[in-house]
Amino acid sequence: MSAHALPLAAARASQRWMFAPIWSRLLRNPMAAFGLGLLLVIVVIVLLAPVLHLPPPEFAQVAQRLKPPLTPGHPFGTDQVGRDILSRLVWGTRLSLAVGVFSALAASLVGSTIGLLAAFRGGWVDALLMRGIDTLMAFPYLLLALAIVAALGPGLFNAMLAIIVVNVPFFARGVRGAALSVVQADFMSAARLCGLSDARIVLTELLPNVLPGIIIGVSTTIGWMILETAGLSFLGLGAQPPQADLGGMLGDGRNLLQIAPHVATIPGLVILLLAIGINLLGDGLRDVLDPKLKAGGIARTKARTASAPASERRAGLSPPGADARLPLAIRNLKTEFRVRGSVYVAVGGVDLKIAPGEAVGIVGESGSGKTVTALSILGLVATPPGRIVGGEILHHGEDMVEVDLRRLQEVRGGKVAYIFQDPQTTLNPLIPVGEQVAEVIRQHQGLSRPEARRRAVALFESVLIGDAIDKVRAYPHEMSGGQRQRVGIAMALANDPELIVADEPTTALDVTTQAQVLKLLNDLRHERGAALMFISHDFGVVAALCDRVHVMYAGRVVESGSVKDVLAHPRHPYTRRLLACVPELGSRRGRVAPIPGLPPSLDELPPGCAFAPRCELVTPACSAGDISLDEVGPGHFGRCIRMDEP
Amino acid sequence: MAGLILRRLFMVIPVLFGVSVIVFLVISLIPGDPARAILGTFATPANVAEVTRQLGLDKPLPVQYVIWIDNLLHGDLGRSYILHKPVIDEIMARLFPTLLLAGAALVLASVFGVLLGILAAVGQNGIGDRLITVVALLGISTPSFWLGMLFIFWFGVRLAWLPVGGMTAMFGGGGVGDILAHLILPATTLAAVAGAVLVRLTRGAMLEVLRQDYIRTARAKGLSERRVIYGHAFRNALVAIIPVIGLQAGFVLGGAVYIETVFQWPGLGRMLVSAISTRDILLVQGGVLVVASGYVLINLLTDLAQAVLDPRIRTE
Amino acid sequence: MSPMMLTRRSLLGSVAAVSAVGLPRFSLAQSPADVLVIGHVAELQTLDPAQAVTISDFRILINLYDGLLHYKDGSLDVEPGLAESYEVSPDGKTYTFKLRKGVKFHDGSEFNADAVKFNFDRVLDSKHPYHNTGPFPFVFTLGPIEKVEVLDPHTVQLVYKEPYAPALSMLAGAIGGLAGISPAAVKKFGKDFSRNGGGAGPFKFVEWVSGQRFVLEANADYWRGPPKLKGLVFRPIVDENARVSEMQSGGTDITIEVPPDNIAGFTSSPDFTYYQQPGPHLWYLVLNTKTKPFDDKRARQAMNYAINKGAMVTDVLKDTATVASSVTPPAFTWAFDSALKPYPYDPAKAKQLLAEAGYPNGVDVTFYVTESGSGMLSPVLMGTAIQADLAAVGIRAKIETYEWNTFLGKIIPALPADVAVAELSFMTQDPDMHPALALRTGGAVNSGGYSNPKVDALIDQGRQETNRDKRAAIYKELQDVVYDDAPWAFIANWKQNAVSSARVKGFELHPSFTTRFYGVSKV
Repeated sequence: MSAHALPLAAARASQRWMFAPIWSRLLRNPMAAFGLGLLLVIVVIVLLAPVLHLPPPEFAQVAQRLKPPLTPGHPFGTDQVGRDILSRLVWGTRLSLAVGVFSALAASLVGSTIGLLAAFRGGWVDALLMRGIDTLMAFPYLLLALAIVAALGPGLFNAMLAIIVVNVPFFARGVRGAALSVVQADFMSAARLCGLSDARIVLTELLPNVLPGIIIGVSTTIGWMILETAGLSFLGLGAQPPQADLGGMLGDGRNLLQIAPHVATIPGLVILLLAIGINLLGDGLRDVLDPKLKAGGIARTKARTASAPASERRAGLSPPGADARLPLAIRNLKTEFRVRGSVYVAVGGVDLKIAPGEAVGIVGESGSGKTVTALSILGLVATPPGRIVGGEILHHGEDMVEVDLRRLQEVRGGKVAYIFQDPQTTLNPLIPVGEQVAEVIRQHQGLSRPEARRRAVALFESVLIGDAIDKVRAYPHEMSGGQRQRVGIAMALANDPELIVADEPTTALDVTTQAQVLKLLNDLRHERGAALMFISHDFGVVAALCDRVHVMYAGRVVESGSVKDVLAHPRHPYTRRLLACVPELGSRRGRVAPIPGLPPSLDELPPGCAFAPRCELVTPACSAGDISLDEVGPGHFGRCIRMDEP
Repeated sequence: MAGLILRRLFMVIPVLFGVSVIVFLVISLIPGDPARAILGTFATPANVAEVTRQLGLDKPLPVQYVIWIDNLLHGDLGRSYILHKPVIDEIMARLFPTLLLAGAALVLASVFGVLLGILAAVGQNGIGDRLITVVALLGISTPSFWLGMLFIFWFGVRLAWLPVGGMTAMFGGGGVGDILAHLILPATTLAAVAGAVLVRLTRGAMLEVLRQDYIRTARAKGLSERRVIYGHAFRNALVAIIPVIGLQAGFVLGGAVYIETVFQWPGLGRMLVSAISTRDILLVQGGVLVVASGYVLINLLTDLAQAVLDPRIRTE
Repeated sequence: MSPMMLTRRSLLGSVAAVSAVGLPRFSLAQSPADVLVIGHVAELQTLDPAQAVTISDFRILINLYDGLLHYKDGSLDVEPGLAESYEVSPDGKTYTFKLRKGVKFHDGSEFNADAVKFNFDRVLDSKHPYHNTGPFPFVFTLGPIEKVEVLDPHTVQLVYKEPYAPALSMLAGAIGGLAGISPAAVKKFGKDFSRNGGGAGPFKFVEWVSGQRFVLEANADYWRGPPKLKGLVFRPIVDENARVSEMQSGGTDITIEVPPDNIAGFTSSPDFTYYQQPGPHLWYLVLNTKTKPFDDKRARQAMNYAINKGAMVTDVLKDTATVASSVTPPAFTWAFDSALKPYPYDPAKAKQLLAEAGYPNGVDVTFYVTESGSGMLSPVLMGTAIQADLAAVGIRAKIETYEWNTFLGKIIPALPADVAVAELSFMTQDPDMHPALALRTGGAVNSGGYSNPKVDALIDQGRQETNRDKRAAIYKELQDVVYDDAPWAFIANWKQNAVSSARVKGFELHPSFTTRFYGVSKV
């Protein structure tokens, strides 16, 4: 769906990678590893507490009170009744940690049960449970805990209970939300049809799907739990003397801050360290388990695609010559994705030229590199992980890869405009569509707001959106898919571009709308004399719109030429198979014959022809070495060693 | 929009009802005899029984609840038997300080949290990002009351830059500057955790939004990176941030209990702590009810703010 | 001197000037010289002395209301107040007071015998039209008053049902301030009198801002002459650490009850004055005499030997208290038996007594501790220290801590059967009250269930004896009996403390634990 998602093969690889043990993945994250290490040190110390030869934590010697740290026998000093702070710290941490872990587990157990039940049963059970949860959530968090402890009476157990109660709603809500999406999934109804018992469905189908979320919840909650219990102990509502827990020690030390700062400072620091360890580990676990973050964490996309230095990119490239006068000349473009040490070659040396007013199509399966090629033109491939490592992209002789960002932004939406695939996701959902069109006009023509809006209305009319005056105020979600794509076209036409790059603009639309939108695009383009780069997996559509066509496979052009030539005499086996997929244009054999097999993984491209493993005509020579793109007729090129065979 | 407001308001009613039941039940369960609290250390059992009857605490709980609700609907929260004044008066006197403190903390937390979160996201993995991330980590890992203690000790006593407690100076106080000086430490303490949460959330939300297709569209339109980030990305991130700000309002209101105690802020939190310890049941019930209702209102406002921002919610 | 040197020197000079001034220090707007800001331990609860129950309220109210009698400065001896003179009938049942003439209440109405009668009738007569402004929980300490009679506009008579020796002392105490309430104010405000007040004392009520301040101004028409201060501002600062911080940073002029550990910081500085005053207070452990192990006198004595009270008083309380010997505090100088020495710290003796009582292997007990509470000093800390001492002789105490009101509810009127020990303290104004309530068989707060006919008899005698020397002898005997029978573990007698800035002059703590600001000034 999103062109930002990694190419299919990369996604598959990341799936493979998912099965690596969680721990090793966790440890690859230095912050998480640090947190884990910190926590391990603390846990080991507190587990060893009974054998550490510490004085009993409750052993008080009033005569020895408030000794400073480094007193012989009391490395951290003593507290207000002369108890050894180190010993109390170790035992106190043991207790606080146990309380934190236990309350997080208990809250998640109860909360998840409620959430699963509500999601699975639905109806009045759901309504009742969720109103209850809403009511609990209507209380400011700590206030409710305070009221509960006040009602139950002070004590560590009661404090824990209060903390559990106030945390249950978070788990219940979260789990219900996650479970609802699963409940509505197909395999659940399948499971029900199979006659599995409810309990079995919940435990074997539902739970595994929401479990990662629960684990994330627990790991990120333990830290809170420890802080909150400490807070209640601090107010004297938690652990009761002489029992030591961290919050209680802090509370004890509070009134001594001026005369014996160590009594409060040391437990405060330990809480801090403990919480840091837990939070870092929790963050790490979330990164590992959260499906959104699994593929390698979220990286901020840069304003333009990163690129290798010009000298490196241009190595072996001939001077552009006449190509420098063209609106677009892509020369030996190589774009890679680098993810976790693997390099996926999405575009592996593509040449493509577009003359003024010309329409050029790119055809290929998903993952063939056509979209990445298009996005590379104006540096719109997401970085990280994308990077242009080779070739140049000339726009009237100016290399778009190296012009400064300001100039690039001038060209973007100005002389070269894009129409994207899925207008559902490519339009900003929070801004009225007219505003989004007006914005590009203001950006490039410096018009005032009302003027830009008038222009937007005119554009809406020209893309045949009825009620243009009203529709400019609509939000994307209020429009049909076809209308949204018309908005996309309006946006692209706004500044009379010289070249329109359209990336599968109609894939998301139904057939009738598709035809209307395509006709509109074509008409307007002709009217304004704009060149078109049209990307599609559908040969039929390309044939109808374009003058020339490039067929791409595994990041390379395997055949190019005029639409007429390629249609009439496809030379590459892959082109032929693609054409076979187009029922109305092929001979009346009628049936669509899908291509067996899958495209190769882009990080492990085979030598020679990448299509060889799927090719009927394969010979050992196909995989022997690089195969060049050779001219087979006037302006007709192919990349196959057997294309001259009859 | 008006319909939406009405619908949400309507949904608030059962929640408020539930809140009142919980408040009443939980607070009534608080052990310790209010009559004894009124009568002091050496009350005789007969006196205690007498006062219990006067207070109506000998009636069954449901009856007490109905009486309480009936009075509540007439704007009467009862009379504090420790402070000898109507509960509503005391709450009103305490409301402004709490609103001021919690409001200031929330504004501080939101402004700095969101701003730093954006900076961190925009400069991801840079030195600024690392610094902000570490500070935010410290923020969510620090016990706020401990931080407050350290603040008082250093900025109040040792360096004496700021007043150590209270809301106004006793003389010539009450001016804006005076209140601000008193507000800085408690508000900062209270804002620290909430702000840290918001930094982390904003950073994550911005990074997430920056990967969206419409951001690529915005870039393809030739917009400057500034417009892309603030005009497009931030607005969308805000949809995720606003409910969390609402949640933080709850944390801030609850955390005010600690902070008001540590900084002697004359607000509802401190009133509640002392009312709990004196078993001033009506005052606790009234106070918790008001705070919880306020929080319900805040949640309503965040819902509406989200709706204002996100047209999809508006037409849902 | 070269110009270079000059520059350098002047530069250094300016640096020195900066460092002398220091970093910008926040200063509160300097409080006016004639207004005193007091760091007060709690929010005021009521302005009605007849309703007040806490020492912190009485500390404020004593400045608003004069009683018929006063305590003398620095002692618990009485002197005339709103009454010029008084007379006690030979049977000890009738007290006749000649009232001072020309005294006006803060609201301008006149103080006279009718006012006194109104005030007593209000709190004693359940049919009085203003009785519903109560409850008046502490009024019983004034004793069994039968009626109040107006003999003439400036003579009033209190008639008791039976002789009540503590009467004068109680009338001079803070609760006695109820005699000086303005009836006009009660009638005007009704139930809200507790929020408005109205008396004839040296200061009058100005403003009460919840949680922030309680402000009084000088009563220019005060019968003893106007006070030196123009006003008093009480700041409720519940948190003791905050009280200390405010005092250090200049936010208050005077702070009552400084935590023991912080005292050294103040006494070492010339900017502060430290005050200390013993008062009639006893901090003790109630022992459950109804159940094992403390149904045995030897086990009770063992408790007294086992606890290192000296260390507690020096190390924990930093000499803000002295070791207690028996039921009567030394502040009652006339009634205190100074010959009676406290139980010494003797763990061996304690072990031996415990073994004799049948616990050679020690014993497990439950120990109730409160978190805080009026007069409880540092209850958790002291409880913990006591626990450690007890453990050393084999008494394994399991501490259960409760919030003050909950705590009181649990131990009054009697300790639960499975609870052997509880902390408690008592502040009083007459040696009768504490034993009568807490040691007499069936007393309202006799939590330990103690019963000793000899003790009961002595208490009754002391209450009826009007001759002070004879009374003193009775109380001394009582102390000896109680010492030996050890119904409690006697721990400490508290000395109230306070710190003021050195600018405050003329302040003294009073043995009654109240704070009287009439003679105080600020320079």
